[in-house]
Amino acid sequence: MIRFQNVTKKYGEKTVVNDLNFEIEQGEIFVLIGPSGCGKTTTLKMINRLIPLTTGTIFFKDKMISEYPEFEMRWDIGYVLQQIGLFPHMTIEENIEQVPLMKGWDKDKIDARIDELLEMAGLDSKTYRKRFPSELSGGQQQRVGVVRALAADPPVILMDEPFSALDPITRVRLQDDLIELQSRIKKTIVFVTHDINEALKLGDRICLLNAGEIEQLGTPDEFINNPASDFVRDFLGDIDTFLLNQVKLKDVIKDVPPLEYHDNVDYPVVSGDSYLSEVYEELANASPILVKSGMELRLLKRKDVFRILADSKRGDAS
Amino acid sequence: MNELINTFSARSDQLLWALIEHIQLSFVSLIIAAVIAIPLGIWLTKTQKLAEIIINITAVLQTIPSLAILGLMIPLFGIGKVPAVIALVIYALLPILRNTYTGIKGVDASLLEAADGIGMNPMKRLFKVELPLAMSVIMAGVRTAMVLIVGTATLVALIGAGGLGDLILLGIDRNNSELILLGAIPAAILAITLDFVLRVIQNLSYKRIVQTLVAMLLIMLLVSLIPFMSNRGSDISIAGKLGTEPSIITNMYKILIEEETDYTVRVRDGLGPTSFVFNALESDEIDGYLEFTGTVLMDIVDSPPEEYDAEAVYEQARDAILESHDLALLEPMQFNNTYGLAVKREFAEEHNLESISDLGSIESQIVAGFTAEFNDREDGYPAIQETYGLEFNEVFTMEQQMRFTAIESGDVNLMEAWATDAALVEYDLVVLEDDRDVFPPYQGAPLFKQEFITEFPEIEEALNQLSGLITDEEMQEMNYRVQFEDEAPYDVAYEFLSEAGLIDE
Repeated sequence: MIRFQNVTKKYGEKTVVNDLNFEIEQGEIFVLIGPSGCGKTTTLKMINRLIPLTTGTIFFKDKMISEYPEFEMRWDIGYVLQQIGLFPHMTIEENIEQVPLMKGWDKDKIDARIDELLEMAGLDSKTYRKRFPSELSGGQQQRVGVVRALAADPPVILMDEPFSALDPITRVRLQDDLIELQSRIKKTIVFVTHDINEALKLGDRICLLNAGEIEQLGTPDEFINNPASDFVRDFLGDIDTFLLNQVKLKDVIKDVPPLEYHDNVDYPVVSGDSYLSEVYEELANASPILVKSGMELRLLKRKDVFRILADSKRGDAS
Repeated sequence: MNELINTFSARSDQLLWALIEHIQLSFVSLIIAAVIAIPLGIWLTKTQKLAEIIINITAVLQTIPSLAILGLMIPLFGIGKVPAVIALVIYALLPILRNTYTGIKGVDASLLEAADGIGMNPMKRLFKVELPLAMSVIMAGVRTAMVLIVGTATLVALIGAGGLGDLILLGIDRNNSELILLGAIPAAILAITLDFVLRVIQNLSYKRIVQTLVAMLLIMLLVSLIPFMSNRGSDISIAGKLGTEPSIITNMYKILIEEETDYTVRVRDGLGPTSFVFNALESDEIDGYLEFTGTVLMDIVDSPPEEYDAEAVYEQARDAILESHDLALLEPMQFNNTYGLAVKREFAEEHNLESISDLGSIESQIVAGFTAEFNDREDGYPAIQETYGLEFNEVFTMEQQMRFTAIESGDVNLMEAWATDAALVEYDLVVLEDDRDVFPPYQGAPLFKQEFITEFPEIEEALNQLSGLITDEEMQEMNYRVQFEDEAPYDVAYEFLSEAGLIDE
């Protein structure tokens, strides 16, 4: 869908992004992550040409982005900002309809689209359409921000640290909703963040940048299981928290074979969708516990948990 | 207060017309200023380097005193509404320009990024995001400009553009506070009202603001065209400086020309000082005006009189101005409106004063009130000091009508005066004889372009009927009737001409 080929960006003598080569596949959430100044936002903004590249080529649907007309191209690339950037003098409805209007949609089609998207984002259309952004909470505003990006049904959405300005609870909720939404709409999403937990949670693939170069590109599993360098390992540093709070039990024990007979087993049963941190109590009182996912039950023992934690610390959790 | 109400009811027609003119001048200027400054301000936000320079230029323009701008306008654009509007526009540029610039610059960068990011082109971004968000700041600038314009517009009466300033200037000239208030109060109310209206508009939504402004623009354009068109229609226009005397005499010119020829004459009296009217003549804005022989020599051709005989001065002035400016100074009337030094009658009697020389014995007791002009000009106080060897105890410079108030209250005991000034009668002053001929004669005579006189010899003939007529006393009396008894200059002029047998009843 989007392919970077020898892309370099320099400001004067300073190289911000150096010779990037990668391809973003259709329908995946592709996370760009890295410390401040690593060039992740620059990389994102080069895709919709908010920042011009110095050398190299970016292909969008197999055509060089420079061959598209600048403004029209952006109608097919949704854009969500960290600062949300809803126009304060426009109602929610007016904010959302800007791109469809520019694309020349008729009024009825736009109306129906606004209803559909607001409902999809969990906002009652009747209640919110005519409100102004300032009348909404930060979380609601960013939901509208995502809706605005989706308005004209673009194949690609760029999200520049969209949740980082929100409070932790709202952030987690919007992350969950994004995963839910993506399972239905299957857009190509390029997502910039500096939060490794968010990257591991959302990303189908993660691209870790360091000083303008790719340090590692792979799935969350590959990051956890095969960190490519000490830099990656350091960056993952906080992985415990991630494992405890973001990884579901069914993923933790997916390598354990399911029990064949379980009619008489008298252990507590927990859902495979629970997080490790949610089963501390059960683990303390009774070990092992049974993890149920679908029709299958698997045994999870205390020592397995500690092994996983120990492995992840070493960066070698096999 | 009662007098104010009387003045109001007596002049309500004049007030209404002046008010309409004032609104038209203000609106036209404001609209032109906005049409220039808003796009310019927008453009400047895109060209960082020029912005500083251009905003500074408009700031400098604004520091030029309004009177100076009006004075500078005349040689370039003449007199009347056009130069007035140009001057007002110059004043209104800065607040609108600066607020447009800062308003647009102040739009949150993330909103601009959002606009770019969703694919708005620069035009769309400007009209859908930047302008709506900057609108309240821009409107605040427009309001500031509006108040500035309404205030400054009271001055453009000096160059014949009309408006409420006409009433104020007339009031100052006639020493009539009611008339001043009659001009000043509506000007203040107008400023407050318009500010209020603009504030209401400012709080409307962006779309409504644009709609309202466009509607107002159209209405004002229609209304504004009327006075600009109605100015035409007279064949000849003759002007006079500020004061009752030029008003009366120019009306006599009008009556005589219309009696003797088929031309119609437009009287444009109450214009500013000599330089304003003279420049208007030079730039063909007017065809002629009432000038004084002494002024021609001292102020225009800048050659001191060789003799102090009235006729010699006239001839010298006539020849000099014909040669240097190709202007024709027609034959003068009899009265000699020269400078003099005046004191209260009882003061003169107390100290036995008849001539300026008599002041020598009491010079240490003299506290003089002079106009700034008299205190400075060569044939004014400096000439007195030199010729008579006088050195007064103290000299205050003040506005000309204020001097009468000052001498009445005893704050000063001597002032300069014009020989035919009606206020001399009103305040019971005597003029001391200029026994050493310091002041040149100032006889009134019509001043035209020579080519105009060559083309219309019948006009010279008509005006020369006044040659040698009107004594100092007659002129002073007519001034008195206009200034203190509120008679119309035209009626006074008509009556004199009729009694002199120059026109048929």
